[in-house]
Amino acid sequence: MKDLKHLIYFESLLENADNELVKQAQAEGDICLGYTCYHVPEALLNIGNCFSVRLRAPKTGSIDIATYYMSNYTCEYARALVERAIEGGYQFLDALIGVDACSMMNRAMEHFEVLKVNTKEKFFVTHMDIPFKVTDYTLDAYTTQMQIHVLDNLKEKFGIDTSDKAIRKAVKEHNEVCKILTEIGDMRKAENPVITGYEYHVLNLVSFTCPKRLILPYLKETLKELKSRKPDPKPWFRARVAIVGSEIDDPNLTKLIEGCGAFVCSDRHCFGSTPGREVIELNDDEPALKQICRHIMEHSECARYISDEKVMQRRHTADRLAKEYHAEGIIYEQMKYCDYWGFERALVSHVMAEEYGWPVLSIDRLYNNGNSGQLRTRCQAFVESLEIKRIHKEEGIK
Amino acid sequence: MAKTPKYPNPKFFKAKDNIDWKKQWENLKVCGSIFYDMFKETDWEAFKNGWKNTLKMDAERIKEEYNAFMALDQQGKLDAVLYGEKRLGRLYAKGAMATVRREWRGIKDTAYDFYEWARMWGMLLMTFSKDLIPAVNSALHYRWMISYFCCHGFMDKNIMGQRGRALRMSHLLIYDIFRYVAENLVLLSKADRKNGNSEELNKMLMTFDEMTMGQIMAGFPDLCGIPYQLLPVFLVSEIDQLTCVPYIDAVESFGLPSDTCPVPSSECGALVIDALPDMGCGFISSSMPCDGSTMASSYFARRFPNTPVFHLCFPVRYEDESVLQSAAEDIKACIKFIEDKTGAKWNWDAYFTAMKRFNKETSYELEKWEINKTKYPQLLGPCYELFRKWNYEMDGGIDPRVIKTCEKVSKLIREAYEDRDEAWVGKMKYRAIVWSCPAHYYANFSNWAANCWGIDVLVEMESLNFTKPLETEDKEEALRDLARLYERMVMRRHTNGGYHNVVTELWRQCEAWDAKLIIMYQNVACKNMATVQGLLDDQGRERGYDLIWIEHDLMDPRTVSRRTMRDKVNEFMRTVKNAEPVDPSLVEFEDEVCM
Repeated sequence: MKDLKHLIYFESLLENADNELVKQAQAEGDICLGYTCYHVPEALLNIGNCFSVRLRAPKTGSIDIATYYMSNYTCEYARALVERAIEGGYQFLDALIGVDACSMMNRAMEHFEVLKVNTKEKFFVTHMDIPFKVTDYTLDAYTTQMQIHVLDNLKEKFGIDTSDKAIRKAVKEHNEVCKILTEIGDMRKAENPVITGYEYHVLNLVSFTCPKRLILPYLKETLKELKSRKPDPKPWFRARVAIVGSEIDDPNLTKLIEGCGAFVCSDRHCFGSTPGREVIELNDDEPALKQICRHIMEHSECARYISDEKVMQRRHTADRLAKEYHAEGIIYEQMKYCDYWGFERALVSHVMAEEYGWPVLSIDRLYNNGNSGQLRTRCQAFVESLEIKRIHKEEGIK
Repeated sequence: MAKTPKYPNPKFFKAKDNIDWKKQWENLKVCGSIFYDMFKETDWEAFKNGWKNTLKMDAERIKEEYNAFMALDQQGKLDAVLYGEKRLGRLYAKGAMATVRREWRGIKDTAYDFYEWARMWGMLLMTFSKDLIPAVNSALHYRWMISYFCCHGFMDKNIMGQRGRALRMSHLLIYDIFRYVAENLVLLSKADRKNGNSEELNKMLMTFDEMTMGQIMAGFPDLCGIPYQLLPVFLVSEIDQLTCVPYIDAVESFGLPSDTCPVPSSECGALVIDALPDMGCGFISSSMPCDGSTMASSYFARRFPNTPVFHLCFPVRYEDESVLQSAAEDIKACIKFIEDKTGAKWNWDAYFTAMKRFNKETSYELEKWEINKTKYPQLLGPCYELFRKWNYEMDGGIDPRVIKTCEKVSKLIREAYEDRDEAWVGKMKYRAIVWSCPAHYYANFSNWAANCWGIDVLVEMESLNFTKPLETEDKEEALRDLARLYERMVMRRHTNGGYHNVVTELWRQCEAWDAKLIIMYQNVACKNMATVQGLLDDQGRERGYDLIWIEHDLMDPRTVSRRTMRDKVNEFMRTVKNAEPVDPSLVEFEDEVCM
């Protein structure tokens, strides 16, 4: 296939958290709000002249200082953020909106505060409580948290208009991004798709890490380009796989998997499109804030949701996506040391294989994996096993 | 005045069993075949030599002890007879699963100790005789049941070196825990569908996660609440250091990463190898205390799909009062769940009565703290540490017999303080505080530290929990208070809700208890604590505290052995403090396989 016009530009945007578009927006007077987790409603952080940047630590090398503070048995994503913060890599942020959804990420954000890694006068870090199940009262609590910790703080510190009208405007822009990415994402359903999993991962990541108003024109143009993009005469891949699991902000992992011949047709992970790129439907009967919070809680696929219906939802979603995107197998992945996904992956990789009948590859991985030979070998073996299954199926062998 | 209802409710023990004898016979045959295989494969020559060697070692030990005694001067001999032995390291022997003998504490204290030993046996026999067959049969179903046979050995280890009132207080406290364990073992065996299969009891029985506090059951006096994994996993791992090893291996073979906390790992592993009983008409799971524990409930649901589960979830940012109402609503929902599954009704009178008792027990606890904060601390050691956790977390004022123990201990501790007793006679050298969670497989570590180096642990982090008296009048406020209590459960109170709860709080407590030495446990798999290790180190250094970092793996002694834990202290005391041990025989000894 012909290369996408803006792919190299998008890749360059992912080389730094403080990328060209972030700098441009801040130069124009916009306020940059960092966050890491889906449980912080992205739309709320794009209210008024605020914009959100979902934090990454690209090109992470040594994380020795963070390891001193947080030990070597903790999430590398959390440690990479602390390391980068100590190096001064997040000085550009105007605030950090944190959630106490997983302890290691929460601690990482606390280090931002304690070690005073950002010297901006108005810089603040806030930590919100996130429910473990979806009920009326947990929704109320969640909504209150967003009001107090996000909206009230933004109003007080930066004088942002946080009215219902302003929230709805932010949702509208957010939905525009989501619609584009959903339309592009749906192209992966085709038998011979015009986009690779890697390209989609890059597009999705720039949508999380760049100011919406500045990235939107590029995304629109890319959508248009894709509509007329000619695929290769024959599919380039040997098997189609869906990914399910924890945080992947490194597109090189997707590249590694695709380098083994597996087309990553679906991305259900933190920083993926499910959840994150679903359109938020608002009605006029209820305040927008509450509706956004409900949307987040209902769409969240985080393993920390403990209730039975959410446990089943996660399994059904994995199954549904794999079917919709015509995957032949599922890769369950987990950031090493992530407690939530460690338990979830171990159990559900069995469940998906035994109860849902999916071939499953179960892996735990480091923060940066682009060059992992071990992972490559396992992915290659999985692709081969999927091919063998396909051949057996075609030959009628059980 | 209304008569206090009998506790535990006698109808629990009287509930009719429905043992499937055919299945028991099948199980007996399986066990029999295992025993037969073991018998066949035993190298009898090696067995004989092993015993010969043991007898030889015993003879040598007796000779050595005799010679050592005879080498003492007249006063030394008199001291040894009247006040007990001083070289406790000789109670351990290489390769032995138990100590070689019980400790000689002097005439008076040994006699008292023996009385308590007999009282404990009496209680166990009386309790198990309430329904002996399922209880004994449990030993044929679950290997963890066998570990409880060495509960006296566990008691001995926890009171090692104690004398006088300190010894009496420790015995009183641990007795209550053992009574609770024995009664629940009987009930658990009766209810287990593989064993006693008492449907009558199961209809009255609600199981809950071992990390869920027991107080909610105070409002259901006609129901039996059993912390489900407490007896097969949590508590037994304190008694026998090797209990959880098969669970951990099983779940890691299943695919769970080895870096997860051994508590939920062992719980899940016990489910994988079918080591947990099937019982009760519902299960209350919880999101506490941390991320790993949150996830364990899906393993339960997979193993017991027919047992309805309620997930009791509390806000993590517990100091933020804006989320408190949500926690109170969850408690209401939990109460409704129990009512729906059992047909019982929440009883406010019973709840308030128990909580009044709990408040009183808390005031007794505060009294202990006040005394331990002085220059003459009185109640130290593992028995007290275990009692505090058990009383706060599991008993919660429900058992009326416990208040009597608290009263007796209160009397003893006041007398001891007035007489300026020494909690560890001749061993009061360093005032220390324990931070983070202790290793289950080394429950008597503070006992060793006192006996070997004179390091006296005044208080543990896990003891310093919620002490506000709970509301006993206003019903809505009572639920909010209960939520506040649950949010501050053992461990969670410090490791959740922000770093200041564990870091800043430590410096505050060191000051309050006048402790300069900190035993800083480092559970290698505890993410909540690992993520503040640099801050603790930095700030501790700035403040001039001595931190002894002691790694452990909570329930897996293979990662960090007891000996390695001791070595950390030995090294620190020798090199940093330039100290001499109080009892040199305890610096180096073998207890790798000792329960």
